[in-house]
Amino acid sequence: MIDRLEHVRSLQLDRPRSRFLRWSMAALVALMVAAWGSSELSFEDAFSARRRANAARFLGEIVPYPLQGRPFDATVAVDWGRDRLEDASGAVGTTLAISVAAAVLAALAGLLLAVPAARNLASPEALVDATAAPSFAARAAWAALVATVRAFMIFVRSVPEYIWAFLLVQLLGFDAWPAVFALALHNTGILGKLTAETLEDADQSPARALRALGATRTQAVITALAPQILPRFLLYFFYRWETCLREATVLGMLGVVSLGSLVRDARVSNFYDEMVLYVAIAAALVLAGDLLSAAARAIVRRAS
Amino acid sequence: MSPITGPRPIGARRAVLLLIAATAVWAFVRLLAGSSPALPDASMISGVVEFVSGAAHPALAYESASVPRGAPPLLVKAMLAARTTVVYAAAAMSLALVVGAMLGFFASTAWWSADITGAGGRLAATLRHGPGAAVYASARVLIAAMRSVHELLWAVFFLAAFGLTGVAVVVAIAIPFGATLAKVFSELIDEAPRDAAAALAAAGAGPVQVYLFGLVPRALPDMGAYALYRFECALRSSAVLGFFGPETLGKFIKQSWNENHYGEVWTYLYTLFALIALADWWSGAMRRRFVA
Repeated sequence: MIDRLEHVRSLQLDRPRSRFLRWSMAALVALMVAAWGSSELSFEDAFSARRRANAARFLGEIVPYPLQGRPFDATVAVDWGRDRLEDASGAVGTTLAISVAAAVLAALAGLLLAVPAARNLASPEALVDATAAPSFAARAAWAALVATVRAFMIFVRSVPEYIWAFLLVQLLGFDAWPAVFALALHNTGILGKLTAETLEDADQSPARALRALGATRTQAVITALAPQILPRFLLYFFYRWETCLREATVLGMLGVVSLGSLVRDARVSNFYDEMVLYVAIAAALVLAGDLLSAAARAIVRRAS
Repeated sequence: MSPITGPRPIGARRAVLLLIAATAVWAFVRLLAGSSPALPDASMISGVVEFVSGAAHPALAYESASVPRGAPPLLVKAMLAARTTVVYAAAAMSLALVVGAMLGFFASTAWWSADITGAGGRLAATLRHGPGAAVYASARVLIAAMRSVHELLWAVFFLAAFGLTGVAVVVAIAIPFGATLAKVFSELIDEAPRDAAAALAAAGAGPVQVYLFGLVPRALPDMGAYALYRFECALRSSAVLGFFGPETLGKFIKQSWNENHYGEVWTYLYTLFALIALADWWSGAMRRRFVA
């Protein structure tokens, strides 16, 4: 009995521990606690009498306009809702189109950028057994290429989509296309990084075999590596498309005609009832997209 | 050996690709019908060039001639904005983690599955046939509802209802983030290998012990990794919410842009980039030690 306890104790003592991890976790917890104590998050201000009155008034205003102050009538509510849906149908289509166009552009660009960012492909002797050590200049040049592409992808994905869209809309006009390019730019960074990692983790032997037989790097990638990474790439694509749909609904707040612009127009006119309805429509769209994406990902998983 | 003859069925992968291609064609046609991606005219191109060239020399001091008295130096202001961004993100994540843990528990199937509660016990039977599925379904519906409203829209909603308070911003971010954490946590717990749980159950541990000490530790590294990724996303969302009033980096990007001080815009962009890069590096370092 004593032996077993000692054995368990020694197992516990030998478990892998990391001082960095402990300090990091402690720092994160301290950060979160300190955040609540900071001045921006004062509770007295948040729940003062004036704010509560504001909230009560707001709740009254989100009732559909034809019904405010009158007893509830279902037909009036439904008519009002149907009129709003008609107004919103164009915006729904534009939102969907923006998300698909952005996701597809990001997928193509990410795929293109993933190859020079994959360390197994962007090197002097990619996919071959080196016969002679490559020159320092060759290795340095390839390493610089990988570093540059990766740095570009990191920068592009660290700026949020909304900020890219703000910049591009201001520069290129209040149009759907700047929003598409902004979404595509941000997601190129993400899809590029994920695809590069998938390329690096894939089984290299078929590609190496082809190279040994004389295929060029491009031929080896297209015929041996691309089919391998396709299922994983499709999974990432659908996952990012879901997010693109979510973002496309709010990019309208910058002026593009999507659901977000309807929300913004309703808000600045103080039509809170319409604002809440448009938010609900946006939520329903995102929900439908989630279900579609989950179904597509299940199909891809089953087929691979 | 007979050769394969006759038309081959379309594989699932090819069907998915065709579907994506068809939808893409529809999307581009629809967007082009609205407006073509304008061939940029001269003023647009010069505007873009002017902005992009600012990347090489971000402003280190205010660009306007008249700076209000008592205003901190530009770099200090950028640091303060970064600090506010982190404060909102950290507070939101603390809420989101709590919500995610609770909802994630109810949205997983593990707590009422036979492996954990014991196949034959009365507890298992009552959970499975009674509240188990109902609680699971309602939790999933709640998660979907919370997730499908973008945090910006939650923020607009709360700002309209409560006015500009820090708590409104934090709750606006915490709602969809908590729901996303709940969804991912529940999936990780459901998919975690149940070898340890099975061993504990065979050794006679109760359902709670099996769940807490057998199942959750197996999923914890992935849960931690995802939570760190969510924190990075929270930083980004917190910065974007600045466009609506809170004093995070987004507010100052918008302000400087409206004053045409492109150098300042790049300063704030680089600050945001540095913040995210730091968070990215730190979470990567932590994740490597999770697995070890």
